[in-house]
Amino acid sequence: MIRYIARRIMNMIPLLVGVSLVSFLVVQLSPGDFLAEIRLNPVVDAATVDRMRENLGLDKPLYIQYVKWLASILRLDFGYSFAYQVPVWWLINSRLLNTLLLSIVSLVIAWLIAIPIGIHAATRQYSWSDNTLSFVSYIGISTPTFFSGLLLLYVAFVTGWFPIGGMTSLEFDDMSTVGKVLDVARHLVIPASVLAFLTVAGLMRQMRANLLEVLRQDYVKTARAKGLAERVVINRHAVRNAINPLITIFGFELGGLLGGAAILESVVGWPGLGQLILDSVLRKDLYVVMGSLMLGTVTLVVGNLVADVLLAASDPRIRYD
Amino acid sequence: MVRRATAFLIVGALLMALASMVGAQSQFTLPGIPNPKVATFPPEVGKYGGTYVVSSISDPRTFNPIIVQDTASGAVTNVMFDGLVEQDYITGEIEPGLAESWTVSSNGRTWVFTLRQGLVWSDGTPLTVDDVVFSIQAIFTPGVDNSFRSLLTFSGQQVTWRKLDARRIQFTTPTSLCPVGLFLRFIGFPIVPKHKLADVLARSGAEFSRTWGVNVDPKTMVGSGPFLLQSFTPGQRVIMLKNQKYWQVDKRGQRLPYLVRYIIVTVPNQDAARLQFLAKQIDAYGARGREFAELKGLEKQGDFTIYDGPETFTREFIVFNQNPRGVRAPKLSWFSDVKFRIALAHAIDQNTMSRQVLAGRATTSTSDISAGNKLYYDASLQPYPYDLNRAQQLLAEAGYRKGADGFLRDAQGNVVEFTIVTNAGNQDREAYGNIVRQDFVKLGIRATFVTESFPSLVGKLTGTYNWEAIIIGFTGGIEHGTARNLWLTTGDLHMWNPNQTTPATQWEAEVDRVFEQYACEPDQAKRKALMTQFQQVVYRNLPMLYFPYQKTQPALRNTIGNVKLGLQGATGTLGTRYYKGPYRP
Amino acid sequence: MATQDITGRIGRVAARVERVRARTPMQLAWRQLRRHRVALIGGGILIALFAMALFAEFLAPYSLDFTDREKFFHPPTAPRVVDEQGRWQRPFVYGSELVELGLTRYAIIPTQKYPIRFFTAGEPYRFLWLLPTNVHLIGVDAPGRLFLFGSDQYGRDQLSRILFGGRVSLLVGILAVSITIPIGMVYGGIAGYFGGRVDNIMMRMAEVIIAFPGFYLLLTLSAVLPSNVGCTTRFYMIVLILSFIGWAGFSRLIRGFVLSLKQREYVLAAKAMGLDDLRIILRHLLPNTASLVIVVATLAIPGAILGESGLSFLGLGVREPCASWGNLLSAGTNLVNLSRYPWLLIPGGFIILAVIAYNFLGDGLRDAFDPRLRTG
Repeated sequence: MIRYIARRIMNMIPLLVGVSLVSFLVVQLSPGDFLAEIRLNPVVDAATVDRMRENLGLDKPLYIQYVKWLASILRLDFGYSFAYQVPVWWLINSRLLNTLLLSIVSLVIAWLIAIPIGIHAATRQYSWSDNTLSFVSYIGISTPTFFSGLLLLYVAFVTGWFPIGGMTSLEFDDMSTVGKVLDVARHLVIPASVLAFLTVAGLMRQMRANLLEVLRQDYVKTARAKGLAERVVINRHAVRNAINPLITIFGFELGGLLGGAAILESVVGWPGLGQLILDSVLRKDLYVVMGSLMLGTVTLVVGNLVADVLLAASDPRIRYD
Repeated sequence: MVRRATAFLIVGALLMALASMVGAQSQFTLPGIPNPKVATFPPEVGKYGGTYVVSSISDPRTFNPIIVQDTASGAVTNVMFDGLVEQDYITGEIEPGLAESWTVSSNGRTWVFTLRQGLVWSDGTPLTVDDVVFSIQAIFTPGVDNSFRSLLTFSGQQVTWRKLDARRIQFTTPTSLCPVGLFLRFIGFPIVPKHKLADVLARSGAEFSRTWGVNVDPKTMVGSGPFLLQSFTPGQRVIMLKNQKYWQVDKRGQRLPYLVRYIIVTVPNQDAARLQFLAKQIDAYGARGREFAELKGLEKQGDFTIYDGPETFTREFIVFNQNPRGVRAPKLSWFSDVKFRIALAHAIDQNTMSRQVLAGRATTSTSDISAGNKLYYDASLQPYPYDLNRAQQLLAEAGYRKGADGFLRDAQGNVVEFTIVTNAGNQDREAYGNIVRQDFVKLGIRATFVTESFPSLVGKLTGTYNWEAIIIGFTGGIEHGTARNLWLTTGDLHMWNPNQTTPATQWEAEVDRVFEQYACEPDQAKRKALMTQFQQVVYRNLPMLYFPYQKTQPALRNTIGNVKLGLQGATGTLGTRYYKGPYRP
Repeated sequence: MATQDITGRIGRVAARVERVRARTPMQLAWRQLRRHRVALIGGGILIALFAMALFAEFLAPYSLDFTDREKFFHPPTAPRVVDEQGRWQRPFVYGSELVELGLTRYAIIPTQKYPIRFFTAGEPYRFLWLLPTNVHLIGVDAPGRLFLFGSDQYGRDQLSRILFGGRVSLLVGILAVSITIPIGMVYGGIAGYFGGRVDNIMMRMAEVIIAFPGFYLLLTLSAVLPSNVGCTTRFYMIVLILSFIGWAGFSRLIRGFVLSLKQREYVLAAKAMGLDDLRIILRHLLPNTASLVIVVATLAIPGAILGESGLSFLGLGVREPCASWGNLLSAGTNLVNLSRYPWLLIPGGFIILAVIAYNFLGDGLRDAFDPRLRTG
């Protein structure tokens, strides 16, 4: 297994080079450039725009731009943002922890809720509680996050129970450590529940379906026939086997931890990576886009790797070598 | 356009001009500053203390005032750094700033500015002519990308400067050209501290651009304005603290500003900003037109006032491509046909746009200049009335007839069809586009309305020229004649036919002449006459068909003092703003 | 009596077995499905929704782009049967006028009554794209307006737009799923079945596709694809293209599942019998992923419906004057609209309805195709 993991990590290098090359080309060949905003300023003349283009290095042939970027990334230098004129890594780093906090909290909440209710719904298929849970999950998967986010902000406004967006209060800097933790926790409630709601709905449907499938298998019938308690049958035998597709999904979610949820973040004002990436993508801030793509690819690969390892661990029949 | 509105005087233009010639002497002094500027506009003498919280839709991108391009960064650097002169936010007039007075030579080409005595940076270092020289050097250093450089370059020639003594600096505009009428508008660039930045500028322009970015340690920065950066948390807020060494006083001679803290919270979603405003977490809110009536009803409950503000200078319009490099016959001949454009002007339903999109909070437009621009707006022009029958009749007179199949055909029998594009994500423009499309279709035109991403749209507009009709908007300044890149036929932004070597039409040549004269005209009344001429030419030829000018509706907490509406809905200046009521916890 | 009963019953069972034997698997599944009440409800709702979309021109009181500029953001016009004097009348609606522009308040005009008419003449159209007619199921005489679900920002009937919008929203999910799922299944099935090096190479390729910056692909497409085609055509092209890169994530899911399935007895048995690999994958492995596939498909459909409004943000969704549920909903989603024009959220209800219907049907289909659950 160690060898397998090592090989997968080695494989990552050509993958990253391939992804970066394709991405660089696609980004650069798509129409428009970073200077679009400035071009539309009636007092800025074309000569100034040309000079800016030169200073940003956008006038050089594509392959030179790419090789330069690749050379600097090998030194772990992500380059400078066009818009901010600060290192890309600094920009990403300033929001990394916020995004991780939100995604991990919502991920944990979602899995803690989704798995038990999925099991519950499957073991009582078409019961009153299954139908209710299913119905709620349908609403969950059909509600866009910007809508539920806005709705919760409005609830927060009317009730005063939670802060209206943001991650910290104005007085944050003067708070004690415990106060700071509580403050962030209060701000987390809305975005984390919106994200969790969305994830719970999908996961619960998956869990329910997989478990239903497994419960029909012969070995479950055998286990029941042997007189094992239903709880043991479900938890020991059925759930372990039903969890397989969820492990793959878990890998995806690990891979997406850093992606952030741009639209939700901007609705509730969560200072995460998603907003930064979306803004950079929209205004074609090239090196921020490339940096976040690379980061995304690495976490994607690691997430998939973790999923593969977990798959093998949960199901001894699976072997990779 | 540089807008620095930190303080102002209520005096007639004539009085002010006189004052600035002789050098205004105020009746007060501050320790070390014998002649501080008296901010006299706001009638109230305020109380010290309090925190003023506003919101911004996005984070600042830099704290380096020279390279600022966006409003969110400008909101920070404009209060931290001052220029030689500033603009009165109510009248738009230029008045003294760090320079207490100036003189201009009789040929209008040489300007001498005198700094106030005893000015200091927030760390106590004297602010001298060396800082002014350093700032303009920075502006012209290669690798420092900024928008001040184009303002100080005239037909390709830079302004020149010379230090006369510790307090006086002389600027000379290129002598081969006409005198620069709006020189005072162009000289308001921010002054940056030489003692902090000289080292980096000496290394390179690129290095300078990357200094004082958003990753700066605020302790390493100094400023001259009313507030100084204390901290910036990405995605969350900028906190600014009062500058104890600010050089302006109120009318009792007390040093400004009154407020202790100024906080700009980043709230990317406008609805969230509105909720925070109603929940009294932030003190100001720039409402949308459709919110005006509703917020008016909530004034008491929310302890705020929403003001019926003037129109913005931003004009939104549809423009047709008349560029032979971009469109071919027969479309080129329709779009170049002034009769065609005027007929279509009668199909622009400004009233519906105003009602449906802005809940009536808008003024019908007639030209490129907003009704909110009191200096140059020509109120005598009447908008082309919305009348589809008239439009159809005018089209018929110009040879475009609606056939039995309902389609409009030109004299050669080509069906009139074109695609209208706007940038996706701008809901107002999408709504305008949809209304325009419906009316054009009613005339028998096969009009298609599509949206496109902003970079892609700009790429077409300024690069490939491959478009037919575009809906877009431009912001503007009070000195409308500075929009040279848009109106000169040689301009890159002369959208319908850019970068011409010789003017394609008579009227474009006339606009060229107006703009060249305007640039050399120091006299405001004569500039007004030129702008009137310009508006009438545009009105008759309509390269763009204009949509309504939106009104502003700023809302402000009642605990804030010294509030008065100014240009484009500005409500006051930070230097004089104060907190009346109980301070926020 | 008792024996008769028993023999009779045996006879009936035997007859049933005979019939069962004579049926194809599809027929069996259909029989099974018919007994599945929830699935029938789901199927019924879907059929109703599709019928609504198909006959939109006839069912809708107005055309897609019919606009009354004086009646924008008009609240739903409630049909009434009692007039202001308390007398019973045949159903009618009142006329109305804008009384306050700032808050878009309308007041009814009691003197203007417009009886609701069925099979009434309205705007001309072609029934099922063929038969020219102007008969609409329901309507009122102009200048009265029958806005049963209210009107939008421009003064267009929301009910009509929802009916037409259903065409796009109901199709897009199926279109996307019908491309991504087969590709993903076969790709993931092959990778999982062969495992080892094949799996490794195939999955790395899938990772490249997952990591592909789709946004810029869209930007490029927006510049390359023609914009003067029909108002939904370009959107369908985009969905097709997106589907061709959208299968990669799904293939990983299938591959993980197949990795464990392939060690099951029946697969090993099939291998031992010497069946060729392709046949094992297609006949034995993939059918067993059905429950997984159905869940993924039913989850992907709302994603596609809502994703359409995201594409509009790039100018790649359906464009005016066409409508879709996702677009109608996102146009309604801001605080001003939510608090003042709540009827703009009605399209959200249709999305939820469609999602429920697809899921119900999905559940039923899964049970129906499961041989283990099959009863006579």
